[in-house]
Amino acid sequence: MYSYIIRRLAFGALTVIGVSIIVFIVLRILPGDPLVAIFGPEGFTKLSEAERAGYMADLGLSDPLAVQYLRWVADIARGNFGRSFFRAESVGEMILRRGPLTAEIALLSVILSWLVGIPVAIVSALRPNSLGDNVSRFLSILFLAVPGFWLGMLIVLAALFMFGYRAPLTGPSLLKDPWANLQVVIGPAVVLGLGQAAYIARMARSSLLEVIREDYVRTARAKGLSRRPVITLHALPNALLPVITLSGILLGFVLAGSIPVERAFGTPGLGYAMFTAVSERDVFVMQNLVFLYAVVFVLLNILVDLTIAWLDPRIRYR
Amino acid sequence: MTVTEPEAAYPAETAAPAEISQLRRTKGGVRGFIRRSPLSAFWGCIAAAILVMAVAAPVLAPYEPLKSDFRAMSKPPNERHYFGTDQIGRDVLSRVIYGSRASLTIAMGAVLFGTTLGALWGLASGYFGGRFDILSQRVIEFLQSFPDLILAMAIAMALGAGFGTVIVAIAITRIPFGGRVIRAVVLSLKELSYVEAARGLGASHLRIMARHILPQCVAPYLILATTHLGVAIIIEAALGFLGVGIPPPTPTWGNMLADSLNAGLIPPWWLVLFPGLAITITVLAFNLLGDGIRDMLDPRLRRAV
Repeated sequence: MYSYIIRRLAFGALTVIGVSIIVFIVLRILPGDPLVAIFGPEGFTKLSEAERAGYMADLGLSDPLAVQYLRWVADIARGNFGRSFFRAESVGEMILRRGPLTAEIALLSVILSWLVGIPVAIVSALRPNSLGDNVSRFLSILFLAVPGFWLGMLIVLAALFMFGYRAPLTGPSLLKDPWANLQVVIGPAVVLGLGQAAYIARMARSSLLEVIREDYVRTARAKGLSRRPVITLHALPNALLPVITLSGILLGFVLAGSIPVERAFGTPGLGYAMFTAVSERDVFVMQNLVFLYAVVFVLLNILVDLTIAWLDPRIRYR
Repeated sequence: MTVTEPEAAYPAETAAPAEISQLRRTKGGVRGFIRRSPLSAFWGCIAAAILVMAVAAPVLAPYEPLKSDFRAMSKPPNERHYFGTDQIGRDVLSRVIYGSRASLTIAMGAVLFGTTLGALWGLASGYFGGRFDILSQRVIEFLQSFPDLILAMAIAMALGAGFGTVIVAIAITRIPFGGRVIRAVVLSLKELSYVEAARGLGASHLRIMARHILPQCVAPYLILATTHLGVAIIIEAALGFLGVGIPPPTPTWGNMLADSLNAGLIPPWWLVLFPGLAITITVLAFNLLGDGIRDMLDPRLRRAV
């Protein structure tokens, strides 16, 4: 197990380095002149040559790209996420303030997706091609096609028209005001959770149908156990392994999906900050936030892989 | 219930004859496809109708999508404007119809460019193996470490708004999938004896790849491409919604949803409902068509893609 953990972590470190290079290429080199990005094409033409050189030197943009890259990595390693070009708060402070809300949404949505997806899959797999199976399969195909942010907008509208209700616009912390916190978090979590539940139900159904065929399940049935304990105690634990892997991949989907969904609900989380950074064309904030999201995604995948290895000895010894 | 139980327990044995008959029926072409999966054929027709709608938008749309009618601003659906009008009096139905153009052009462009590039890359890396393969696998892994939408957002923002840049941004997120799936197919193909025979006869690498391996990759590629169309449409809509898609005033479904949030504190329901419905129906149509094509061409890929 330890050698597996070490190998996985080494791979993860390599991936983080690769990811940082891609982020640097995309957000520092592709945009061309960063001053154009900051001031806009019109504002840029109004700057004098000396002003341009001054800004470039101030921001450390006239150094060679390799030096800029290393300085950026060193800054992040020291926990210095820089500062937005447009607002006073440092990016690090913003992440600490807004991050927990998005993390809560992500976690809650994963829990919801399992609570909805797994029972649906069990019902489906127990009676394949029955009415219940067909309805749940159609619903999961439908939810794969519904954009989460649109569903969010509809929920906000429906709550307003039917109950005259609007979730609070500020994001109180879970500890200070759990009730207000829940109202802010529940909408995005439900929308993102349903989206994931569709994938989970599909995967768990096909995985269960496959496991039900195995010899040990037939043996359990043959020795006289009734269907229910065979499914829940014998088949389900093995059928869930690919679902756990999928859930890890879907967490990336939640991290990205929370950006438009938080915009739809007006949730003051990290996703909304990402939207603000994008609409202000704030490349420096974007660079750090994109890197942060990617690193979190890599870490989550490592965590999922280790969990699977812990649950399934076959992977550990490969 | 007791009758269906054994079937549920052993689908493997019932699956074998079904697969054979599927292969036979595949030769029936379109008619066979309709008979085998009527649901997919139905949704395929809807996908075709949406394509026609995009091409014939100027004929079908009752109004100019960009023209404001200041006598009819923010009007709910009525007999003159079936989907209502937005805050500056543009007809929502016309804008939804024109929106299909942007969505489909971008989704198809991204898939043609991204999935194809990924597939060719996967073909080369699977065929040659060795150091090139290891390096390719790492790069693909790095690209896959970003959630799709975040990578597309970053690239679209970096390149600036426009048709071409949005296509490139979405295409790059499609590359790893094409690469992975086709590489796996090629790895299993290149050990087969007919490929070895071609090699023994002295065929060049290029000839083996183009004549003997590429034709076998067409089925998984088609399946992948139709599935990715739906994903690309959703990403395009999300980019438009976040303001890094095609710049307004071009009507796209994502832009229309973003606009509706600027229409005041409470967005009118018709500005929210119709563009979103258009996205949902289009994606649903392409996904179900993709499922049907997958079942017809290769039932074994049921879980791989």
